[in-house]
Parts: sequence; structure tokens; C-alpha cells
Amino acid sequence: MHPINTVSPAILSKVLKPARYTGHEWNSVNKDVNADLVSFVLAMPDVYEVGMSNLGLKILYQVLNNRPDTFAERVYAPWVDMEAEMRAANIRLYTLETKRPVSSCDILGFSLQYELSYSNILNMLDLAAIPVESTKRDESHPLVVCGGPCAFNAEPLADFVDLFIIGEAEEVIGEVAGVIAEWKKAGKPGGKAHVLRQAAQLQGIYVPSFYEEEHNAAGRLIALRPTQNEAKPVIVKRVIKDLDQVTFATKPIVPFIEIVHDRIMLELFRGCTRGCRFCQAGVLYRPVRERKMDTLVNYVQELVDNTGYNEISLVSLSSADYSCLSPLITELITRFKQQGVSVSLPSLRVDSFSIELAKQVQQVRKSGLTFAPEAGTQRLRDVINKGVTEEDLTQAVSAAFSAGWSTIKLYFMIGLPTETDEDIAGIASLAQRVADLYKQIKGRRGAKVTVSVSSFVPKPHTAFQWFGQNSVEEIERKQKLLRSLIKDRSISLSWHDARTSFLEGAFARGDRSLGKVLLRAWQQGVKFDGWSEHFKYDAWMEAFDACGVDPEFYARRHRETDEFLPWEHLSAGVNKAFLVKEWQAAQQETFTADCRHDSCGVCGVCQDLDVDIVDWGQK
Amino acid sequence: MAKLRLMITKGNPIRYISHLDFAGTLERVVRRAKLPAAYSEGFNPHMKMAFASALAVGVTSEAEYMDLELTEELELDRLKEQIVSQLPEGIELKAAQYVHQPSKALMALVNLAVYEIVVPLLNDAAWDVIENSVQNFNSEVEVIYTKQTPKGRRELDIKEYLAEPAVAKPLQDNPHQVSINLAIKIMPNGSIKPVEVLAALIENFGMPVDKNAALIHRSGLFITDGKVRRSPLEVQ
Repeated sequence: MHPINTVSPAILSKVLKPARYTGHEWNSVNKDVNADLVSFVLAMPDVYEVGMSNLGLKILYQVLNNRPDTFAERVYAPWVDMEAEMRAANIRLYTLETKRPVSSCDILGFSLQYELSYSNILNMLDLAAIPVESTKRDESHPLVVCGGPCAFNAEPLADFVDLFIIGEAEEVIGEVAGVIAEWKKAGKPGGKAHVLRQAAQLQGIYVPSFYEEEHNAAGRLIALRPTQNEAKPVIVKRVIKDLDQVTFATKPIVPFIEIVHDRIMLELFRGCTRGCRFCQAGVLYRPVRERKMDTLVNYVQELVDNTGYNEISLVSLSSADYSCLSPLITELITRFKQQGVSVSLPSLRVDSFSIELAKQVQQVRKSGLTFAPEAGTQRLRDVINKGVTEEDLTQAVSAAFSAGWSTIKLYFMIGLPTETDEDIAGIASLAQRVADLYKQIKGRRGAKVTVSVSSFVPKPHTAFQWFGQNSVEEIERKQKLLRSLIKDRSISLSWHDARTSFLEGAFARGDRSLGKVLLRAWQQGVKFDGWSEHFKYDAWMEAFDACGVDPEFYARRHRETDEFLPWEHLSAGVNKAFLVKEWQAAQQETFTADCRHDSCGVCGVCQDLDVDIVDWGQK
Repeated sequence: MAKLRLMITKGNPIRYISHLDFAGTLERVVRRAKLPAAYSEGFNPHMKMAFASALAVGVTSEAEYMDLELTEELELDRLKEQIVSQLPEGIELKAAQYVHQPSKALMALVNLAVYEIVVPLLNDAAWDVIENSVQNFNSEVEVIYTKQTPKGRRELDIKEYLAEPAVAKPLQDNPHQVSINLAIKIMPNGSIKPVEVLAALIENFGMPVDKNAALIHRSGLFITDGKVRRSPLEVQ
């Protein structure tokens, strides 16, 4: 097949940032397409700049393209201007590498990073001329697969997706490609159903059409039962035992246009066992597995050589917890300083920060520092198991101010379990104390404190999965209260739209009934729900209404711990008993220690998944 | 210290990137090629590179010039090899040579840009209509074009910036396309974009072509005294 130029200059000259749609980037891969080659399309239901910044997709692009039997290409959601042009000119969604229609490929994989991107999946399928509902697709259409954190509650997307990858995909995605390669070579015996049956036998693969919902007399969901022999009652996540042994994105695509994370992304480790009770990633990516420092330094050398980037961002759930962080930063700075390479650390925990670290990073370039106390009072921080004290924050911020920083960003959540107005006031006073600290240390005003407040959305597989989310009105009241309590001009406050958090909450803990709501809302034109200028709350509420589905049932309702949850057949390896214990500990404000340094909390991951904590600081 | 002058292209695959993106791309090329680039001092060191003239989004070029300061003068053939191995699709290295210091900045040297615009005729319009509009355009002493900028509206006389009359002819292998050649002066007070000349041809002189489908290509950047054109590689 020859590469075709699908889009004319007449169209590209009219849209914003046309280079989103033209490809040819450095390190993008092209292969000679033949009948045996598995055509895999990696997609992100968001714009190019967001999709191109996702580390998981970068890794999978390299993993798949390393296979001689597979060719992975990319596609992202066209921005609304481009979508309109494509629909008007009848241009189907095409891949960036060969510009062929996405619909001509064997398998189309979406990364699920957040619930508010679901409508874009339907929109992209439609733009590709692929029927959105899986039952309406035939043998001529690609298989549709989804992975990423949101796949851990797959049910709201069950009507649209053929298979889900649960957990870390580096290994299993190759196994899926292998199944398709063999099937194609054999002349596609048994059609796509054969692939699904083969895939369902792999660990970490969930085929939703092989399960049916069971309800009790009251209409409540009580089980998701396998209907096929190949379907396992419980699908256990995939987890990489040794991160030093799997492919990392050492040859990532270097875009021509600026993307959200336009720099080297270095993943130091996976997992975090601090045990914050609101945090879904802390459960999904258990246990902590570090890469060796040597491995990381070698990756950086390759990355600098392969990309030409001069900025390295250390990305992990809590990068400051890397056991060899200080020697690593010293090594990176000494080794790459000549080439003008700088190192940056995203969000820092307030307790693991030190003056030394601040100064090390500062050596090359200085940017603002971000801390995440998450809650305004010690009581509430104990509820969420955020094991930091005000003393920790004071020390860290003082160190930062003394070392020359003046811009501090503080992350908080509102709407947490047991929260009272006193906790809201605590956010304002904590921010004030940070601003005052600057004056104390520097003897003058001039700190810039940004308080960023998000609304808490309870997530599946966490200790707070039973909690009834705050109402939109309650969140808005708390936002207003906080606004009224912040008076210092050096403190700025930003918050999220409470309505988007409510929608996110409904889908986060939704079941299959939400499929029809999503379909209806998409038909009514919703898309890019995570982009405030495109979020159509009323269209969503109308869709819930028309389908007879109550969003409050999913978002607002408090659940008892014996209720069957729609994600119980998908296991992150953490026992329900452990989560119940943590939920109770939250009410009692008791602390659970980090199992990585303290005793094992028996969450079940290491025992059941035959995997160990990897911590190079202790070995 | 040494100053390296490169002649490079901006081809079709990267037609839609901005000048800033083009510069960023070349900066990464230089780093991948491990050239001994010189950086500015300070907390935010930047590579010492300079271009002759910015190219708009959507415009290709076969003659872009870039000066790069190096901390040492390495052998030219080896440098070229290193650069070529790191160029993405859409950028070709046409020539490279050292510029002996002291020299004026490229931007201050270059004063003429030559463009070819290829644009489809509207509804197979008659050829003499095209010729007429170009003739009328060329015979005017003054053609006022209103430029819409973020800062407001500004009136420009296009003719002040044209070094030669515009030339239009049918494209050899496709008579439904017009090729328009423009020689545009780059003056200390600025310049005018080829797309603005095209807009004036369409709006003020009724040229029946599809502006949105126009492909604009820069075929040369020169230093001229009004008689002789020399490339920045010939002037040092």
C-alpha cells in the first residue's frame, strides 16, 4: 500500500496547528505494509499535544514496533475545527505514519487516562467509519482494545470495546499482537471471535462480551458472570516483575510542534506504597519497583542522543521517593551539564524534600516548586493517610525559600470523606502560613503562592470506593467559602468545575448502564468533555434523563462494603479485605505505614501476583 | 569560536510548522549531531543560532539560511555528515561553510526573498482574466493592503515591497494551476508576506484563484544592490 496524502492544503491551511495532522516526526516509524504484518493503531482520545505526551503510549509504540510481525501507528482526536473539515470533505480518520484509514487496520487501541475522554473514543470511531457499538461491527472492522488506569472499571465502555488490557501492558500487548499475527498467517480462521477467545486466556485480558450482568429482584447488580469457557471469573492485572528487563521509551518520537510534556520523560520506578487512601494509582501500580540507577543513566544517555532534548523530567508517582535520587541527580547533572541538560522534578511530597535536593536541581535551571499537602488540617490528612505534618511542609518550604525559590504551588482536594468547614479553612491558613514564611525568611514580601484545589472523585479499587461523592452544590459552597477566606494578594486560588467532577464520578464507578448514556450524549454532540470550553453539562444530564439512568446513584451514593461493585471481576491484586480495613482506619484517623519501609500491610499484591518490592536503596 | 552558515530546506513534510518550531527542530538536530554549539550565559542558556528570515506556517523553502556559533572550528565535511545523519524528513542540507568573523547578522544582510505561488484556477477561469489582473496589478503605482494584526489594522503599500513585476504563467504539467512569481524586498521597516500579495491580487484585481489551496514556496533569499543577486553564502 502506498502512503496517501489524504488531506489537502486547502483544509490544512484553514485549521489551527495543522502539524498535528501531518506526521513525519523524528523517530516515527514506517514499515512496508504487507498482508501478514499486524497493523496496530495506538490512539489517545485527546488532541495531539496531549496524546504525544503520554509515556505509556511512547513505550508501547517502541515495544510493538520492535516486533518484526507488527507495525504500530498513531492517531489522536482531531480538534473540533479539523473534525468539521474532515466530516465536510468526507475524510476518514487516518494514521499519522502512512495516512491510511484507521478502519483498514487490524486493531485499534485507546489509552484510557481519564473518564472525561470517553466521548472522544466514540467520536473517533465514528470519524473512522467504524460502528461505535461492538455488536454492530463485523469482520471488516478492526478490533477495539482499551488499556490504561480507567480500564480497571471497564463496564461503562463494555458496549463499545472488544477487549481490555488490565494492568501494565509492555508484555501482554506483544502477546495480543502475537495472537493476531498467527491468526492472520493462518488465514483468519474463526474470525475475530477466535482472536477474542485466544486473548481471553491471556492474563490481564478482559473480553466484556464474554460476561453478563446478574441482578437481584430489586434490580441491583450482584455479579458479572462468564458466559464462555475461556472467560475467567476474575481477571488479574498484569504487572512487570523487573522493570530493568522490559523495553523503555528510549527512542521516543520528537514532535515538530510543542507538546504538553516536551522533554525527556524518565520513569524512575513504578508504584507507590505510601498508601494515600484516595489514590487510585497507588493501588493499581503496586508494588514499588525501582529501576537501577545504572539503567536510568544509560537510558538518559540514549534519550539525549536519540532526541536532542535538553530537559529531563523525572516521572514516577512520587519521584522524590526514589531510593537513589540524590546520587542519580548528581550523576545526571555532572554528566550532561556540558550539553546544557537540565533536570526537573514534578510534584514533590513535602516530607521527602531536602535543601540538598533543591540546590541540586537548581544548579542548571530554576522553576517553581510544587507540593501536595492534599488537605488543610492534620486530622483530614490522617483520614486520607497522607503521612505529612505541617512541620514537614514548613521545613520544606523554608528550605526552598532560603535556596532562592519564591514560587510555590500547593495542591489540595476538597470533598474528602469526613471533611468539615474547619478543614476548608485549614487550606486557607496553611497557604497564609507559607506566604508569611517567605516574609520571615527573606524579610520582604514577594512570594507567589498558588493554591490549586480539585474536587475529590472517589475511584474504584481504593479505600474510598464506597464513599458518596459531595454534590455539585456542596463543592461549590466549599469553593466559595475558601475563596472568602483567602485575603492575601500573594496567594492565588484556582479550582475545578464541580460539574465535570460529578460526571467523572458517575463514570468512574459506573456499570454497563452508562453505555447507553454515553452513546446518547455523544449523539447529542458531546466531545472533549475535559476541555471546559467544550463541556456540555446540560447535554449530559439530558442524556442521563432520556436513558432513565440516575447519575447520583453512581456518584453520590454511599455504598456498604458488602455491595457487589461493577469492577470486582477486575483485580488490581489488592484484597477487598485490605481496602475495607483502610476504609475503617480512615474513619478512625489511624495511620497505615508504607509497607516498603515498614511491615507488610498484607494488601495481597506481592503474595497473589508473585512479585516483590524492588528498592535499590535497601539492597 | 567559529560561525557556521548553513543553507537548508523546509520541505513539504514540514510545510505546516511555524518558524519557532522550525528553529526548535534545528536546535535538536544540532544537539543530536553533537556539534560543539555555543550557548549564551545565564540561568536559561540558549543555543547561539540565527536565521535570515522567518518562514510562515504553510510555506516551504529551498533556501533557508542559519548561522550557528561553535566553540571550535571542526572539519567541514565531518560536520556536514554529522548534521545530515540527524535531519528529519523535510529538511535537507544544501551547503555549509564557515563565515569569517566579524560578520553582519544574517537578518541584517538578506534584503530580497523570491517566491513561487502555485494556486488552482477557480472553476476553470479563462486564462486572459488571470493575465489581466496581473497586468493591472503591475501597472498600478500603489496597491494598498490592509493588514490585520493583533495590534490592530495597518495599511501597507504592497508595491513598495515588490522588487519586480509579478509574473503569472500556467503550470507546465497542469494548466488548471497558475504559477505566480514574486520578488519581495525585505526592508529595515519590515516586509510583506506573499500570501498578502496573493490576497490583494484576488480581492483588488479579481484574480480567479482559490487562495486557500495556494502552495507557497520560497525559492531564494538574496543580498542585492538592485542589480546583482548574491546568496548569503557568497557574501561574507
